[in-house]
Amino acid sequence: MTTLLVAQIVLTLFVFIALLHSAAAMVWVERRLAALLQQRLGPIRVGWQGLLQPFADVIKLMFKEELRPGAADPILFALAPIISATAAFSAFAVVPFGAETTFFGLLDEPMRLQVADVNVAVLVIFAIASMSVYGIVLAGWSSNSKYSLLGGLRSSAQMISYELSYGLALASVLLLGNSLSLTTLVDAQSGTWLGFIPRWFIFIQPLGFLIFMTAGVAETNRAPFDFPEAEQELVAGYHTEYSSMSFAMFFLAEYINMVTVSAVATDLFLGGWHGPFLPESLGWIWFLLKVGALLFFYVWMRWTLPRYRYDQLMAFGWKILLPLSVINLLVTAAGVLYFGA
Amino acid sequence: MTDTAFYLFGAIAIGASLLVIAQRNPVYSVLLLIASFGALSGLYVLLDAPFVAVIQIIVYAGAIMVLFLFVVMLLNAPQEDTEHDVRMHPFRGPGPMRFGAVLALGLAAELGWALTRTPGDSAPFGGTPVSSVSAIGRTLFTEYAFAFEVTSILILVAMVGAVVLARREEPR
Repeated sequence: MTTLLVAQIVLTLFVFIALLHSAAAMVWVERRLAALLQQRLGPIRVGWQGLLQPFADVIKLMFKEELRPGAADPILFALAPIISATAAFSAFAVVPFGAETTFFGLLDEPMRLQVADVNVAVLVIFAIASMSVYGIVLAGWSSNSKYSLLGGLRSSAQMISYELSYGLALASVLLLGNSLSLTTLVDAQSGTWLGFIPRWFIFIQPLGFLIFMTAGVAETNRAPFDFPEAEQELVAGYHTEYSSMSFAMFFLAEYINMVTVSAVATDLFLGGWHGPFLPESLGWIWFLLKVGALLFFYVWMRWTLPRYRYDQLMAFGWKILLPLSVINLLVTAAGVLYFGA
Repeated sequence: MTDTAFYLFGAIAIGASLLVIAQRNPVYSVLLLIASFGALSGLYVLLDAPFVAVIQIIVYAGAIMVLFLFVVMLLNAPQEDTEHDVRMHPFRGPGPMRFGAVLALGLAAELGWALTRTPGDSAPFGGTPVSSVSAIGRTLFTEYAFAFEVTSILILVAMVGAVVLARREEPR
């Protein structure tokens, strides 16, 4: 019992620190990839291949002066980045990233590589994603600046619009796996069809996966849907007035949200830690590879596609994505009824 | 442990709800209401109903309150009413205030009656465990199907009404 508790605490700390470092790594990956896509070199001076650049950035941000506009609301201005970062971190708590393990016999009973095994995990992620909008909206409002306010308003409208498609794409996977627990959903994707096609939900739900990823990109405010911080129109959007570490917290939240969306997509559509060649105990390697591939896609897309126009974003969300996800859900439900899951 | 959590969440819910009406700034009111919903959701978890708890967050804190905040921010009213508005408000007259006092007394009496009822008078809901999502779904679509469908029509009517009211007459 005690060892299990200690293991749980260690695992929680590990996930927290790993998320922090994944954000740092993503900053480096983003800058290097952007540079390579634009025929530049990018950061290569600090450390080998510039790998220490994110840490140099963090140190720089720590020593910067914390500014607050005189007309800003002091409480909410301080609270907004905290809400953003907290929501980003807590969403990952229910994401499983590996099969049950005893850590090479270190523990008496096997334990799940997951901080909290909630039986409504999918809904918890959805709930926390819907809470993260408050950080951005409040940042926009409390700054008392027109650019920030417009960024915050855009963000809330965008997130409300895309949350529906996001939720409906989730629902069609829930129908297939007949569960709300992410662990059960991942286990439903083990094994293969015809001996070589992995039983991943992406092969039954290709449209669902596309809808989920599109809505996920919109939810994390990434290009080509990065309207809340559209530089050419809004300076920097909701975080225009933020500096130093409170700016860093928004930055952190954005990258961690990307990691979480990719991890959830991996669990729901790409079979989680299941994959060929590796034994079950090393499944987390597969998990990391899949999440990495999705994150690469995120960055690749940002530096390839131009930003949409705002009315195009709204029209796309309500007139194309939402009807598509409703049809996808209906077809999935009919299929599950007909074939019996 | 459970008792401490219950009193903690209960205190947060009541305290935040009281502060909602005590705030001058509507944005703070909205945020305190969200805090109150969060505490309620914690109480649902203690009642072994995680599904209801998460739905509470998604629907109320996540969706409805975002719209509230949206409206409050668009109006951008730093204070709800000016001094003049408060004095001239129609509810400030002696007649409406007496009527309000009667209503408040009625509510207090009802609350007192509900609290003193013996537990035997109130039957637990249905008898199916509320924690299971499939049980909730089955009950909702069999036993309470009529109420469920009527509610959806009610919401549709409200939506159509809002669209009709908000639409501007186009000049011919």
